[in-house]
Amino acid sequence: MMWLSGGFIFRRGNSVYHRLDPRVKLLNSVLMFASTLMVRSVYELLGVIVFLVAVAAVATVLRRVARTMLLTGTFSVFIFLINFLFTRNLESSVLYAARFVAIVVSTSLFFITTSPDELEQVMKTFRLPRDVVFAFVTAVRFIPVMMLDTIQIMDAQKSRGLELDKGNVFRRVRNMVPVLIPLVVNSVVRSGELAEAMESRAYGVVPRPTSLVQYRASAADKAVTVAAILLFALAAYSFYYVLPVQFP
Amino acid sequence: MSDILEIRGLSFRYPEAPRMAVSGFDLAIPEGEIVVLAGPSGCGKSTLLRAVNGLIPHMYGGEYSGDVLVAGASVKGSDMRELAQKVGFLFQNPENQIFMFSVERDVAFGLENIGTPREEMRERVDDALRLLGIGDLALRAPHELSDGQKQRVALAGVLAMRPRLVILDEPTSLLDPKTAGELVDLVAKLRRELGTTFVIVEHRLDLLVRVADRLVVMSEGRKVMEGAPKDVLLGEGSEKYGVATPAVTRLQKMLARDGLATADGLMRPADLAALSEKRAR
Repeated sequence: MMWLSGGFIFRRGNSVYHRLDPRVKLLNSVLMFASTLMVRSVYELLGVIVFLVAVAAVATVLRRVARTMLLTGTFSVFIFLINFLFTRNLESSVLYAARFVAIVVSTSLFFITTSPDELEQVMKTFRLPRDVVFAFVTAVRFIPVMMLDTIQIMDAQKSRGLELDKGNVFRRVRNMVPVLIPLVVNSVVRSGELAEAMESRAYGVVPRPTSLVQYRASAADKAVTVAAILLFALAAYSFYYVLPVQFP
Repeated sequence: MSDILEIRGLSFRYPEAPRMAVSGFDLAIPEGEIVVLAGPSGCGKSTLLRAVNGLIPHMYGGEYSGDVLVAGASVKGSDMRELAQKVGFLFQNPENQIFMFSVERDVAFGLENIGTPREEMRERVDDALRLLGIGDLALRAPHELSDGQKQRVALAGVLAMRPRLVILDEPTSLLDPKTAGELVDLVAKLRRELGTTFVIVEHRLDLLVRVADRLVVMSEGRKVMEGAPKDVLLGEGSEKYGVATPAVTRLQKMLARDGLATADGLMRPADLAALSEKRAR
């Protein structure tokens, strides 16, 4: 699954698309996603894919998206084969295979251009309880810290003679115990310290905290919103009014 | 000058703990002083600090007697909203007090929590970043910072609340000597420019004695020594409580033993020259 996760990891960028209001990016991805599901012919899907590529170009992530497409593409070869085997319908098999690629790309475009900070803003717009949002924020915030912790503990245990990659699968899982226990203990200690620091900085004292960042709809925000709605309108039109092209 | 912090006969015991963590502690600190608190591990320093910023008794319950007054108001009677703005607390590990993904958002964390209006928050965050010389890091993520930088970010978050009293819990323990020295300079600068009072728990006294006004030594929950750093360190007993004597103090003591210095101060080069001349004759 590592290859797939690569298509979803945020990397800092400075394109117009990166600087959009995160809610606009979310709306765009949701509408692109819905559009891929609604179109019913390969040609129409091609239109959606052209739109996706255009977005990727604006976001200057063409290379990463191409990589994601290639990797999901190899997987969708199976989708195509299985479909074709059962339906003997070339058009719908191609459609399903390509649709999978388009779905992954439309979702990934949101995640690779939206920083965890912006994700938090999005969660706030959905009026999620502050504690839930904060739990998410800290969880993501401490991923790199915990990874570093794990490496250090592994090194420490290896230097004391722990052989991590010996034996069969069960043996290897059991070998991880001396790594996991200190990791859990560390995390518990850390959470205690975090709680003290939060308390000292007045977490939760007012029901409605203010926020440093504020998004104002820019021209780019409006343009992307309009483009996404247009794409979706076309896809919806095709879904309700255009009959799928039938191959003989 | 009035006292920013006044501790009157404070005693505290954690629930289920066999003995008092702090007992009968008295201390008064005038505004603008830099006070260093030293003593062996487990002597009650952390407990005392928690009692000053209100974690005790607001977060930790236990047996509490005596009183702690910050700027004249009892900690027990104040809520965390008031306290967070009066007392800033820099914890030992900066990693565990940075919550947000970008430096400026983290510096704003406390201000967001107390509901500061956006314009004022922007101003205070920028001020704090400028004060600590980390304006260029504003948009970095925590994992892109060095330990020294993290320390500054955490301190910026504390200072953005504009507290009159700042507590630093072993602020140099994770820093290399150069960065540690810079932090001490920073403390001196903040006191000079903002008039902030500092209470610093620290083992590396070498660095701090040059800026500290007072040294308080704790042992087993009690205050055992208090005074100007020079007096405490040159006097008898500071070693007994595990206070790491700065090299310069040891030198001073050795020189005094050999009659090359007076007990309360080093000789100036001129004095030394006069003395060696006398001896030569």
